[in-house]
Amino acid sequence: MNITKQVEQLLKQGDVDIFLAYRELDGHLIPHGYTLDNLEDLENLKVSQHRYSLEKVATHLTEKKPNLKIGIVARDCNQRALNLLYTWNQLSPENITPLMVNCCPSQTRNHSDCTYLEPKKTGTFKQKKGIDFNENPREFMDNNDNGQRFSRWMYEFSKCIKCYGCRNICPVCFCTDCSLENPDLVEPGALPPEIPIFHLVRATHMAGRCIDCGLCEDACPAEIPLRFLYREMNRIVSDVFDYTPGAGLEKSPFTIIGNEVTLEPRPMDA
Amino acid sequence: MNCKFVPSVCSYCGTGCGVLFEVIDGKINSTLPLKSHPVNQGKLCIKGWSLHEYINSYMRLKAPLVKENGHFQKATWDEAITHAAKNFNRIKETHGPDAIGVLVSAKVTNEENYLAQKLARAAIGTNNVDHCARL
Repeated sequence: MNITKQVEQLLKQGDVDIFLAYRELDGHLIPHGYTLDNLEDLENLKVSQHRYSLEKVATHLTEKKPNLKIGIVARDCNQRALNLLYTWNQLSPENITPLMVNCCPSQTRNHSDCTYLEPKKTGTFKQKKGIDFNENPREFMDNNDNGQRFSRWMYEFSKCIKCYGCRNICPVCFCTDCSLENPDLVEPGALPPEIPIFHLVRATHMAGRCIDCGLCEDACPAEIPLRFLYREMNRIVSDVFDYTPGAGLEKSPFTIIGNEVTLEPRPMDA
Repeated sequence: MNCKFVPSVCSYCGTGCGVLFEVIDGKINSTLPLKSHPVNQGKLCIKGWSLHEYINSYMRLKAPLVKENGHFQKATWDEAITHAAKNFNRIKETHGPDAIGVLVSAKVTNEENYLAQKLARAAIGTNNVDHCARL
């Protein structure tokens, strides 16, 4: 059964009140909320190769109407984001119906629909002064000493125009009070923002949260290799807590409210 | 409950970045970059990301205001335009057309800018035309 029929059935049976997928409008593939009121739009339903954070839209809809039943066209990254939002009580699994669609090319799927599978290209100046998007973190550590790594990261961070795009597009950024807007942590009105603290505040908050979807890096006008940074952050989380964000419905080790802390305090490098 | 996405062009500067408004129940809830747009390719600056804030701002002017006795009074478009035209005519007659300058904007379309300079040159009779992007 093709996806249009499936969505039509879900809507007509009342399994979902709204289904979030894509449609073609004026030559652009953009997200769209399909409901019983606009069934005629269904013929334009598409699975876009451009990826938007539909799960973030679902959290916005849930904010307005908590019991709304939402269907979502989901790839692996969307599913990881949904899992994470379930564990942080931002969405409830009973109200969400994901319809899985093609993502990674594999033995069974010989084509993919996602633009993110193509590795990003890095220019020669960036390779020389900054950080290659595709560099292996191990090799990066081996080939650069402390000072070089610092200067390369500072070069990348200094390009920041403080657009907050990385936070705004992030499917798992849902705090109402954002530390990046706290004047005690990040001085307002300065460009570039206080570096590296601005990016490191966000990086620490991505520990145990980031589901490695790559939307932040894609939205960054300054081409800062954010994915590299957050991946390394979560490698530590994986080593210390044996936890991969979004992999399942396991509760995050960072939800400490109400729990007794079992970790022994110790220095970072011990 | 309905949710749709409306593509548009950022109104802040002359770059013309593609934006996407997330509209929930007829109200713009947030702004996203339009990923397939050739100008910004899925990226935005802080102003573009915050477009929905000024659209929904309570301080937004929704009707023309005319200053009378030092205070702004709400007026209809007809009243406001008549008031402006009358005073422009008065200035032109007393001080000549070059006493008037027309400032246009990079935020409006080429066609609107063209019409504004036409108004300045043909209707008012001045070459005093300038715009915000000529830094």
